[in-house]
Amino acid sequence: MPFLSHGSYRIRYELDGPANAPAYVLVNGLTQYAELWSAYRDALVARQFRLATFDLLGQGESDKPALFISQDDQVAALHLLVDELGDGPIFLAGISFGGLIALRYAIEHGERLAGLAPMSCFAELPPQLFLLGNALRTALILGGTSYLQDLLLPMNVSDQWLGPVLDKLDSVKRQGWLVNDAFALQNLMESFLDFRPLTSQLSSITLPTMILNGEFDFLTPRAVHETLRAEIPNSALVIIQRAYHAFTLEKPALTADLLARFAEDVLAGRWQGNKAVWIAPEEAGGELIAFPAGYDHLRAIPVQGPAT
Amino acid sequence: MSGFFGPLDPQGRVPPHQQTRVAAFLTSAHGALARQFAFALPAKLVSAWQTELNAQVYHEAEIVSLLLRATSWVPDLALGYLSMSWETAWFPQPAEGIPDQPLARAVSLATLAHAVHAGIRPAALLPREANADDPFVMALRRIELESGRLLQAQILFLKGPELLAHRDAVSAALEHRHVETRKLWTSALEGVGIVVHKS
Repeated sequence: MPFLSHGSYRIRYELDGPANAPAYVLVNGLTQYAELWSAYRDALVARQFRLATFDLLGQGESDKPALFISQDDQVAALHLLVDELGDGPIFLAGISFGGLIALRYAIEHGERLAGLAPMSCFAELPPQLFLLGNALRTALILGGTSYLQDLLLPMNVSDQWLGPVLDKLDSVKRQGWLVNDAFALQNLMESFLDFRPLTSQLSSITLPTMILNGEFDFLTPRAVHETLRAEIPNSALVIIQRAYHAFTLEKPALTADLLARFAEDVLAGRWQGNKAVWIAPEEAGGELIAFPAGYDHLRAIPVQGPAT
Repeated sequence: MSGFFGPLDPQGRVPPHQQTRVAAFLTSAHGALARQFAFALPAKLVSAWQTELNAQVYHEAEIVSLLLRATSWVPDLALGYLSMSWETAWFPQPAEGIPDQPLARAVSLATLAHAVHAGIRPAALLPREANADDPFVMALRRIELESGRLLQAQILFLKGPELLAHRDAVSAALEHRHVETRKLWTSALEGVGIVVHKS
């Protein structure tokens, strides 16, 4: 198990796939750990990508700073990992909190990237998300990691995913509970509850950017992603049908396919962001559909948008 | 060697020699915290935050009481030596770089409490098949959950405005306490066939 060194801390990472291939770096969400990307490793390596996964500082097998974790440290750790990948094209994707770290990396080191895919992501904390984040932090404090998982699971995945595992939820939660210490999760949560909005810096991201948002995402709804689409010039927003916040866990085949196609389009010079809005196919390999002209993609009912 | 207790008996109970070693370590650590918090607790409270100090004293004492009653104790010859090394490690270590001695002593106690409450996860040693109705199993789960709550007082103090100017000294003292405490914990567990991750 290889480790990178950031000051006195160690960051656990893993590289898979051909060394000279275009690379994807995947950044975990808050309560995740690198093994949760295993389906992506198989799918992306089969599409001839190199894949880099890692545990953020405070997660999984990486060191867990006892009191202070800053987003700057996470960006610095990510930079060390990117340096391991050489000079070839590098695509960066992150989910939720990991998407925020990916955005910050793209703002500070965009020249090292060929493309960016923020997923279930946010650049600022509007009141709903701020209050939810604080409530989830309180849940962690009062009820431990297990209670936080109890709250996040029904918010973040669908009934179709939960139904078959309902009588074995303890098993589903156990690995995440084992590898993630409550104090480290609290440190991670506190590192984004007081962060400064990135919105004013988003326009400096000139990279091809594919923003992925679940249709039914409760934690980070469409309006939060709209900020990214509106501010990042070469971006497109892709809505994942019937998906919630953690669609990377629930729909790995579809999401890995979208990531691979995005990178292939960028490498082939076909990518045109145009701040377009797309609807992802239901299954991997299907066609993306342009969001119907004239309708408001921020609404949950087919209301016509403002005239453009 | 395994990362969990075991092998469990047919009723899903943790082997008594593992119960004894883990309970002895936890009793030593939480007992030391109970004593040090009790020593710091004034007879008459003058500030609101001291109510938390009172709570910490009695929660630590509760943990010790719980372990004494829930554990299947058996003789453990290594405990004589181990207990001495543990008790020595819990001695106050005033944080370097904080010239205000009362404040440095308070930081010392808070860092020890943080290391014990955050860094020691006894419930994570329980295998999936551990009997949830066993008192020792329930005790470990309760201690881990309670530790997460007790920890909040240490976090508030160590991150608080009084120590902002000493952030590096606090951080260094805390990381040192975590490493030291974790080393004792992993060493105690290795003696009864359990290996925990080092991160």
